[in-house]
Amino acid sequence: MASNEFVVPERYEDLTPAPQVDQKTLNRMALRSCWLQSSFNYETMQSGGWLFAMIPGLEKVHTNKKDLAASMYHNLDFINTHPFLVTFVMGIVLSLEQNKVDTQTIRAVRISAASPLGGIGDALFWLTLVPITAGITSNMAIAGNIAAPIIFLVIFNIAQFACRFGLMNWSYRVGTGAIDALTANMQAFTRAASILGVFVVGCLTVTMGATQINLTIPNGTTRGLVAHTVVVSNEDAENFADLAVDTDTAEAGTLAISDMEGNGLAAADADGNAVTTGITDLGNGMSSVTYAEVTETPVSYSVASTLDSVLPKLVPLALVLLLYFLFAKKNFTPIKGIILLLFIGIVGALPMINLWG
Amino acid sequence: MDVNAVQIVLVFLVTFVAAIDQFDFLESLYQPIVTGAVIGAILGDINTGLIVGGTYQLMTIGNMPIGGAQPPNAVIGGIMAAVFACTLDMDPDMAVATAIPFALLGQYGVTLFFTLRAPLLEFFRGAAENADTKAITKWTIISECILGVIFAVIVTLFFIGGLAVGQQIVDAIPAWLNTGLSQAGNMMKFVGFAILLKIMMNRDMWGFFFMGFGLALIASNIEAIAGPALLILTLIGFGIAFWDFQQQTELKGAVADGGDFTDGI
Repeated sequence: MASNEFVVPERYEDLTPAPQVDQKTLNRMALRSCWLQSSFNYETMQSGGWLFAMIPGLEKVHTNKKDLAASMYHNLDFINTHPFLVTFVMGIVLSLEQNKVDTQTIRAVRISAASPLGGIGDALFWLTLVPITAGITSNMAIAGNIAAPIIFLVIFNIAQFACRFGLMNWSYRVGTGAIDALTANMQAFTRAASILGVFVVGCLTVTMGATQINLTIPNGTTRGLVAHTVVVSNEDAENFADLAVDTDTAEAGTLAISDMEGNGLAAADADGNAVTTGITDLGNGMSSVTYAEVTETPVSYSVASTLDSVLPKLVPLALVLLLYFLFAKKNFTPIKGIILLLFIGIVGALPMINLWG
Repeated sequence: MDVNAVQIVLVFLVTFVAAIDQFDFLESLYQPIVTGAVIGAILGDINTGLIVGGTYQLMTIGNMPIGGAQPPNAVIGGIMAAVFACTLDMDPDMAVATAIPFALLGQYGVTLFFTLRAPLLEFFRGAAENADTKAITKWTIISECILGVIFAVIVTLFFIGGLAVGQQIVDAIPAWLNTGLSQAGNMMKFVGFAILLKIMMNRDMWGFFFMGFGLALIASNIEAIAGPALLILTLIGFGIAFWDFQQQTELKGAVADGGDFTDGI
């Protein structure tokens, strides 16, 4: 493991645009895109598989070995996109690599193009194609039809490979076609791409950031008075009359009808309505007695709801900013960041800390 | 029902392939409708396998790996359901229900695995520094084989040992360690985000980051647009970036013209 992080140069050494990549290479890239998630992990998600898929194209356009190393390294950035639509991003990134665009621009375009595809692909495949084809073929299978799995596989894979190959070719053509207009204003393009890039990372912090401190801290108890109403004979009602209690000091469960001065107490009935305690003679030898019971309920202080009232997703934001600070100012390597998070995760989960609830 | 060594090896191999296929390759061979029939064929009862696979498949519709979420693992669930139905003569619905805890265990295992696989990326980075494309292929294969073998070993153990083994494995891991590792896994994407920010961020761009953060908070709390929120947000971000591009390029043109700002003022 490298102790000093590899630095990706701003510009490639060889800035001559490479010749157009041939169809065979594009096909190899589309086939390799099947292994997009081969090294899926929670740090950079699909990055290893992405690089694996890009390699045929990168080898063609970067004949300078140092440039190839730089390109391979920055193609390991965080990426999370839809596996069946990834070739769309690959074609665009390849056209940028071919024209030796600034590395920062390529990185910003890649994250911006890749991120929104997830939702589109989910809607197309997992929410449309699979439910329909699997729904029909499942019922065939339950009926014992051996053709069911085969029909499912054929339909699904025709759709999948049409997407992979079609998008690869189309987006590469679009990318190489649009590149001249963009490179004429390279500085502005890099700036615009970075603006979109940081904007999207800001969005991802919310949409993918689920970390929350679910700590609850016991915070004493609260005292209350719960009112009960009973109808008893006038004689029995007399027994209630002397239940004068100091409700501030009485134990939980004590019954009271008045305070020490003999005034009625303000309590809440079962429906939460405010009532005053006291005895009302109903005039038929019976009395309606409203008395109060002293209650004591534990109060706990929820860190999560306090944090949410300041700013929802505050914890993901704080962690991203902390890591940015460590990477940008303290020369932290990614692996150190990972170890830090493993430490926070496991220490926070220890039974005596129980940060995650 | 007695199982022989050939059947055990075949179940191992099918699981190995299905485990890899659930994330890569055809991403369809692993579906229970397929694995059910294959396991059924291996265990000598293809018809039961088909029925269990179809039943399990219907259950998983609407329980897909959407938005990076891990549903109960369909590889382990589908294969175990077929195994139960074929070897224990369970009714298909019963077999599917019995397989659910195994699927949950698989879901759990996948989350842990994705957390613990992050350090493997250092080997990819090392290969990239040396422009060693062959090493990338090597590590891709190694990475896939680790996943396949872990799944295959677990399913084979369940296959031989049955329900008791599954419970023992669950009990062996303390709950707080599970929580800690999955929380750490949850946070690891922030490392990826922070690296991206480090590359793209200039002093004058923090505003755009916080604008994205704020708009995403709003969008993700509006139920009707929470699903396609990221696409909608990217369109907004694109508009801002495009406007900035036009400002920058027009400004450049204006400077070339001698800074003649006359129109509209």
